[in-house]
Amino acid sequence: MIRPRWRKVLRDLWGNKLRTTLVVLSIAIRVFAVGMIVGTQILLREDLSRVYGTTNPAHAFLSISPFDEEAIEIVRNVEGVAEADGRAEHTIPLQKEGDELGEIRLTVPADFADWRLQTVASISGKWPPDEQEILMERASVPYVNAAVGEMITVEDVDGRLRQLTIVGVAHDLFTQPVQFTNVPNGYITRDTAEWLGYGDKLSRMPLRIEGEDVTEEEIRAVIDRVKLKLEKAGYAYYGDWIPEPGEHPANEAVQPLLAILGILGLLSLFASAFLVINIINGLLAQHTTQIGIMKAIGARSSQVMGLYMASVLIFGLLSLLIAVPLGALAAYGLADFIAGFINFDLNGVRLIPQVVLLQTAVAILVPVLAALVPVLRGTAITVHQALSEQGLGAGHFGSSLIDRAMNWLTAVALRLSRPTRISLRNTIRRKARLLLTLITLTLGGAIFIGVLTVHESLLKTLDDALAYFAYDIDVEFKQAHRLEEIQRQVLAVPGVAAAESWIGASAVRLRPDGEEGDGFYLIGAPADTAVINPTLLDGRWLEPGDSNTIVLNSLVLKDEPDIQVGDVIMLEVDGREGEWRVVGLVQGVMTGGIGYVNQPYLARLLRFVDKADSVEIVAATTNPAAQRALEIRLRQHLEEAGMAVDSTGLISDVRGTIEYQFGLVVTLLAVMAVLVALVGGLGLTGTMSINVLERTREIGVMRAVGASDTAVQRIVMVEGALVGVISWFFAVLLAIPISRYLSNVVGNELLRSSLSYTFSFKGAFIWLVAVIIIGALASFWPAWNASRLSVRETLAYE
Amino acid sequence: MIKRLFGTKNGEDGGNGRTPSYQPTHLVDVDNVTKAYHTPAGDFIALDGLTLKVDPGEFVAVVGKSGSGKSTLINMITGIDRPTSGGVYIGETAVHELKEGPMAEWRGRNVGVIFQFFQLLPMLSCVENIMLPMDFCHVYDPDEREERALHLLELVDMSDQAYKLPSELSGGQQQRVAIARALANDPSILAADEPTGNLDSKTAVSIYDLFEELVDKGKTILMVTHDNDLASRVTRAITLADGKIVHEVKR
Repeated sequence: MIRPRWRKVLRDLWGNKLRTTLVVLSIAIRVFAVGMIVGTQILLREDLSRVYGTTNPAHAFLSISPFDEEAIEIVRNVEGVAEADGRAEHTIPLQKEGDELGEIRLTVPADFADWRLQTVASISGKWPPDEQEILMERASVPYVNAAVGEMITVEDVDGRLRQLTIVGVAHDLFTQPVQFTNVPNGYITRDTAEWLGYGDKLSRMPLRIEGEDVTEEEIRAVIDRVKLKLEKAGYAYYGDWIPEPGEHPANEAVQPLLAILGILGLLSLFASAFLVINIINGLLAQHTTQIGIMKAIGARSSQVMGLYMASVLIFGLLSLLIAVPLGALAAYGLADFIAGFINFDLNGVRLIPQVVLLQTAVAILVPVLAALVPVLRGTAITVHQALSEQGLGAGHFGSSLIDRAMNWLTAVALRLSRPTRISLRNTIRRKARLLLTLITLTLGGAIFIGVLTVHESLLKTLDDALAYFAYDIDVEFKQAHRLEEIQRQVLAVPGVAAAESWIGASAVRLRPDGEEGDGFYLIGAPADTAVINPTLLDGRWLEPGDSNTIVLNSLVLKDEPDIQVGDVIMLEVDGREGEWRVVGLVQGVMTGGIGYVNQPYLARLLRFVDKADSVEIVAATTNPAAQRALEIRLRQHLEEAGMAVDSTGLISDVRGTIEYQFGLVVTLLAVMAVLVALVGGLGLTGTMSINVLERTREIGVMRAVGASDTAVQRIVMVEGALVGVISWFFAVLLAIPISRYLSNVVGNELLRSSLSYTFSFKGAFIWLVAVIIIGALASFWPAWNASRLSVRETLAYE
Repeated sequence: MIKRLFGTKNGEDGGNGRTPSYQPTHLVDVDNVTKAYHTPAGDFIALDGLTLKVDPGEFVAVVGKSGSGKSTLINMITGIDRPTSGGVYIGETAVHELKEGPMAEWRGRNVGVIFQFFQLLPMLSCVENIMLPMDFCHVYDPDEREERALHLLELVDMSDQAYKLPSELSGGQQQRVAIARALANDPSILAADEPTGNLDSKTAVSIYDLFEELVDKGKTILMVTHDNDLASRVTRAITLADGKIVHEVKR
């Protein structure tokens, strides 16, 4: 049989269903938020690495002169090599709708039937494809305007139109997502590659070395042996690329998202602790008399404490029941949304032990700890104190300076009506309680405004990034040509408004410790360049007389974080080592690492005096289709003039890519802002409702002395709204450091530099409206409830 | 019946505040107690060097005007409040020396407290309200508690309402249940602060009848009251003014 004291606990919970529901929901919504955020984070990380593992990823990619099975066999026999495979990759022109010319990236495996590394999975249709057939990557299908069974038109090596039949759909985790690149991915056999004029040889060799969790050094050691063997066998070794071991390339895009989620999760946890303290405080204030009676009839403080801790435990367990499944579902939904961008599938909805553990801690440990102080204080109250507080509850008004100031303000200075005076004075009557409510509301608001601020800062940074490109078309020549000749030929093409010739080179930093850096691109542009607008972060831009001075973009610092403006660094440019003085730092705009140097100096260094190997063109039109037509005219004109074109590119395509990369983070932030507002709003509504519930008896007294229902409701709602407005003020203040920190994290992960910080006034305004509504609505419900009770009932309300 | 109700307690006395230097000779010994309250308007002396001794089986009424110190005196005896100076001894226990925790248990076992506003826990039925002190103080075997609670309800003539919630009862009925609760752990003393203050006169009389019955059965009752008519029915009536006993009638 249950003892009467535990029956009291259960019946307290059951008897006051409104309050129990509010408390459980308020805790549950926080536990839900923690589960959703942390769950998303873990789902993405776990499932991405799991899917990644099933594709047998390569540790390194070697670029070798054309080879076939013979070379693969040689490498497989090298000591330390676990597996080797071969492939070729060709990016060729693709005819899109109408006259539009796009590109398609074709991957040619050594053997479809024996694909060993970086595998691609068949999703539907034929496998392998026959000659003149192609498999499309699943995410690329919408980008080629053709369905399975239909044909796409590409240009072969000689510019002839060739048709490939789509015979199936495949999933390739390793492609750069087509949403980002705008270049669809397809898979063809070596026979088809030969038919297109690219020959049946392979050019890249994925390599996997023996052992688990290998380091870059171990990989490097094996590659050195492979290189020797291949060179001995007569192959030319062009270079290699070692991706971050064990990490999917998309991790780069996922990291900022995970960082944001992590911070929000932590803030959520913090806010939930305050919410719980608030709730428990309110609960105990209501039970003061009962605590007194129980002690009067023989209960020790520890026994009373046990009763209330049991209530807290039950609240926590009930919250868990709701929040764990809902949190898991929401985590799956959010993770699935993000996974869609990265082109991988989640392993399905599931409960993650760590997340459930964390949720349990939030739902039980945090409330129990949070309740400890108020329960200790509430139950340590003497019987005498408890019973003499039967009137209108705790709290004293009148003695402190703040109280007197409020009295004067409301009565004399503002001449407010008496009910409004009650609202204002009530607000500050229970100062500890007010402080807790304010902290809870403030945290919720600050997170919301912070997220929206990061959102706006990202958009501002995107604007800045797009403002960087003042040219429309980039033309790269196969060889360097004389500057005047380039200008003359290019300006002769109708539709070209302006042109500027650049010279490019690749640079590798020789680090102070003697190691080589990852390398970046050097642009030799005129110091007074008119076709780019880089945002200067530090130092200065190039000046006409500059020689071995260099301006780096922030993305170079991603790999070389020790470089500072004013440093002298060693660079190997086109095989020549030399010292360069870093004079400035500009914002990187997702073009990769770039160093800007004075064009005449670089041209001299490369023995290309008065020559350039690329030209940046400003089109007379902003219409993308017209620019695309101009791109084709330029190609034709330059080829006819005997200037072989290596590649051309439209900046509008680059813009699309940048917008998309930002879009992923921006979209997630927007989703998070809505969720934060929803979760925060619901939680806060619950807390404030509990506060008003606590005052049911007081409401009874007001009505007993003649207050109408509407007067009572007005008093309570004005008070709620007032608390909201006060919290809003602090939320705005707190949002500034929170959003600065969030912006730095996002900027660092995404761009290796801080974002163009823009405080979200829109977010602050939305929260002001929201918090007034939350305050008023949250107070209205229990006040309305109280006004339905008779005066006698409210006075007897426990 | 009486033996069965009051003679089966199997718990030990919770209090152990005996002072060897003082040898009490009465059941209740309030010895030169002063109680001062500090208020913003200055110190207020509720009890002023008051001494009161009560023997077993007495039915004591404490009367006096509002603010005369009646409730403070009762609170001293129940340990709900503490004297500023002086001592309060119940049996062999120095109540004023008990700490809050032992005090609660001592009170639960030795003093039954009855309030003006009944103060039954609203979410528990009558029987459960009566079982609660036994539960808190670990008195009686858990299996016997309900039976005992029902017997107590029988004693206060409320056995037919045993499983109702307090809100379903009238004020007089609630006070009867509250008295049964005060008897739960078979205390020797009942302390009641205006037990009839919230009841109509007819009901008040019936509560008095019940008190007299309990005194006949050996209980000692201290009661604060405003009602002079009823106060005349007790064995001793003391009148307080300004924290001192100004009048005493013994019968």
